[in-house]
Amino acid sequence: MIETRLGDFEEVILLLVGILGEEAYAFRIADEFESQTKRSVSIGAVHSTLTRLEGKGFLESNMGSATSERGGRRKRIFTITAYGKKVLQNAKDFKVSLWQQFPTLSTGK
Amino acid sequence: MFKSKETFPPALAKKFLRWSLREELEEEVIGDLDEKFYTTIKSKSPFRAKLNYWFQAFNYLRPFAIKKSNPLSLNPFFMFRHNLLVSLRNFTRYKTTFAINLIGLSTSLACALLIYLWVADELSMDNFHEKDNRLYQVMERRQNLDNIGTQQSTPWLLAEALEEEMPEVEYAAVATPADWFDPFTLSVEDRSVSATGIYVGKNYFNIFTYPLIEGNLSKVLSDKNSIVISVELARRLFNTTNVVGNEIEFQHETTYFISGVFTDIPTNSSEQFDFALSIEVQKDKIPQAFEWKNSGPNTYLTLKNGTNASEFETKIKDYIKTKTDQTHRELFLAQYSKNYLYGGYENGAQTGGRIEYVQLFSLIAIFILAIACVNFMNLATARASRRTKEIGVKKTLGANRMGLVFQYLFESVSITLMALIVALFITYFFLPQFNIITEKQLTLQINWQLLAPFIGIALFTGLLAGSYPALYLSGFKPAAVLKGKLHTSFSELWTRKGLVVFQFTMSIIFIVSVWVIYKQIEFVQNKNIGYDKENIIYFQIEGKIRQSLEPFITEIKRIPGIKNASSLGQSMVGGGNTANIGWEGKDPELVSNFAYRPVNYGALEMLDLDLKQGRSFSRDRNDSLKVVFNEAGITAMGLEDPIGKVIQFGPFACEIIGVVNDFHFQSLHSDIEPLFFILVPPITEKVIVKLEPGKEQEALNALQAYYQEYNPGFTFDFRFLDQDYQAQYASEQRIGTLSKYFAGLAVLISCLGLFGLAAFTAERRQKEIGIRKVMGSSEFGIVYLLSSEFTKIVLIAILIALPISYYLVASWLDAFEFRITLQASLFIASGLLALIIAWLTVGLHAFRASRLSPSQCLKEE
Repeated sequence: MIETRLGDFEEVILLLVGILGEEAYAFRIADEFESQTKRSVSIGAVHSTLTRLEGKGFLESNMGSATSERGGRRKRIFTITAYGKKVLQNAKDFKVSLWQQFPTLSTGK
Repeated sequence: MFKSKETFPPALAKKFLRWSLREELEEEVIGDLDEKFYTTIKSKSPFRAKLNYWFQAFNYLRPFAIKKSNPLSLNPFFMFRHNLLVSLRNFTRYKTTFAINLIGLSTSLACALLIYLWVADELSMDNFHEKDNRLYQVMERRQNLDNIGTQQSTPWLLAEALEEEMPEVEYAAVATPADWFDPFTLSVEDRSVSATGIYVGKNYFNIFTYPLIEGNLSKVLSDKNSIVISVELARRLFNTTNVVGNEIEFQHETTYFISGVFTDIPTNSSEQFDFALSIEVQKDKIPQAFEWKNSGPNTYLTLKNGTNASEFETKIKDYIKTKTDQTHRELFLAQYSKNYLYGGYENGAQTGGRIEYVQLFSLIAIFILAIACVNFMNLATARASRRTKEIGVKKTLGANRMGLVFQYLFESVSITLMALIVALFITYFFLPQFNIITEKQLTLQINWQLLAPFIGIALFTGLLAGSYPALYLSGFKPAAVLKGKLHTSFSELWTRKGLVVFQFTMSIIFIVSVWVIYKQIEFVQNKNIGYDKENIIYFQIEGKIRQSLEPFITEIKRIPGIKNASSLGQSMVGGGNTANIGWEGKDPELVSNFAYRPVNYGALEMLDLDLKQGRSFSRDRNDSLKVVFNEAGITAMGLEDPIGKVIQFGPFACEIIGVVNDFHFQSLHSDIEPLFFILVPPITEKVIVKLEPGKEQEALNALQAYYQEYNPGFTFDFRFLDQDYQAQYASEQRIGTLSKYFAGLAVLISCLGLFGLAAFTAERRQKEIGIRKVMGSSEFGIVYLLSSEFTKIVLIAILIALPISYYLVASWLDAFEFRITLQASLFIASGLLALIIAWLTVGLHAFRASRLSPSQCLKEE
């Protein structure tokens, strides 16, 4: 059975993959995560999540180009699948609908 | 530190990644980590970047990334973590056991470490000389009246003659021991320092390795106006070491020229001196000493390579007989580096010396370690039976035997290693105190040479203690274990009891020994030694005092607070001169060694010696060169009516005017030997002064002021006679202090073990106690039940320990000619003490167990 629900961390990673586009590989994502959230994360943790998301079908990956900084090693670029986009959209819609039901939102208190 | 422009990611971390990662991930992961590394290094230090790399690498130990081909490869890691966790849980769960083990093991290891450092230092004494294997001291054996005496002192002429006449000798040198002379005053312009000096033959520095940093090795002492000084002395006098050719004034009398500077003498040298002068100086001063009949300084020599020492020894054995008509003296060789440890001689034969203390303390260290190890094993095996359920569950879940064995060994080894670390800290903190007691300068240098034996001990203890639960318990059938069908075997119980007996035997032996040592030291200090040593100070006659001794003594007697003053040949305590004297009716073949002390008028009265016959020296008559004997002397000569008889002392005929009662002029190690006082004020060496009790400080201040005025340039360096007396027993005092601590420790550690065992038994027998109480047993009955078992153990220990300790202390006391009598009460008291300590330890638990309400202990099942 494939797990299809989206965790909080997974959602952020999925969004970051979308934002980074062609630059979405483990190190860049971890880096972006740290600069956006000010929370530290290991590359290994991000990588593990990416692999899991790929297993769930939200992401697909290809080997990309190499740079000298990487010692001539290629990187694995992740891209969001259509299914992934739909899951993200659903998650967002769900939260928006929750927010709309939230009573004190309009007063700001 | 070396700093390269380019820093690379840590290679070892990369290796680790390659080993742990799935192959298909390797390229992207290492690429990512490298990129991270180079990004980090732009804003942070290379160290931080490397550290981060390691952190990232370890974070790839995730199920998705770990190599699949060898699923067990990381198992040891997880097992290690698991074992560590289980061990820690056990430590926190049984805090008492853990504390007992840690405290016991670490203190005993610390104790052993300290002793190890001391023993290593003792063994290294004097063995740093380059020619060590052919460096010998020539010593003398003398046939005395009733025994054979052994002495280091040899004829002044011996070294030179041996070097000239014996082709086997490479170098030979005479040397006065450093403790012969009190410190001398050396001065340069107006700077004066006090320093220890020796007089040596010209080849001294060729024999001993005290390297010269200035001066020519074979010429430094060829001139009798030369002085060779230590680096430290050079710094104190000149602030520099480049001093060859400079002048030094000696005792404000003579001037010497510095011909060499030697590096400071290492602390593991038994001879410690600040400067060396040529023996020729003494030859000019006391020419009469330089003849074959007189012995004095030490003689050292190095043999040529390839010389057989024992053949050479046979050759020189009768050497003195070829030089004199004396037939009672012969020479022998002792290896110099061995002399420090094997310096004891009895009746001409080598017997022990300091090596006995080295062996004694090594044994103590081993026993204390053994006691702590026994605790550890006892508690480990006792507690192991509690863990049978854990083993059962583990086995049911598929644990193999090796895993269980490893787990138990891991647990016990980890606690011993922990104890070793604590022990190192304890040693570090107590080393200064230990150095004060032992008068050493030991340092704790952590190196493999030191650590290897102790890690060995820690591992050995850990493995031994862990092997019982590991090998025995891991073999159980899970079903039987889980059902609780496990009986403690008899042999196991007996081993445990036997080990406790061993511990208590050791502790009792320690208690008895410490007690006896203390009583003997007390005895020595309070014994009436036959003369008054209280409130007497003495100091060297030097400078102007030497020329005008009488006026000086008359003058200082007037100082308020000074009761009396006189002068003596040497201090009353310690060695002195001996002479072969003649008397009426003496067997001409007989060689007699009588100790003698040159004295001044008033000295005997000051020392409060009891006159038995005749009279003391009196100023009213001309008593010069007259003598007063002690009783032992009169007995040795066999004179019936000694007063008025004349003895032949060298060229002088001396009339006996009095006899004093025997007194202890030597340490209580030896019997009272024949001695006489002879009145020759000019050759006395020390001024002795009796102070009025209660006014010591004022008198000393006034005396010091007067001394400075009378004898400018010299330091008023005085000593108390009773302190010198105490110093004779310094080594016994040291043994006393050290054994006090060690005995305390041994008892403490044994009690810790007993405490742990008692706690364990009380807990195991809780239900039994509950049922007994329900059936009407009193609290006292329960206490009796629990303590009687341990009482039996301690009683057995007492029975074994008392004969052993009697034998040990009796042989120690043998070294004293005057000693306490061993009373049975002392042994009984020691045994009772051990029993009471054991009762207190066990009683606490027994009492607590007896107070428990039966419902409390019976409700659980």
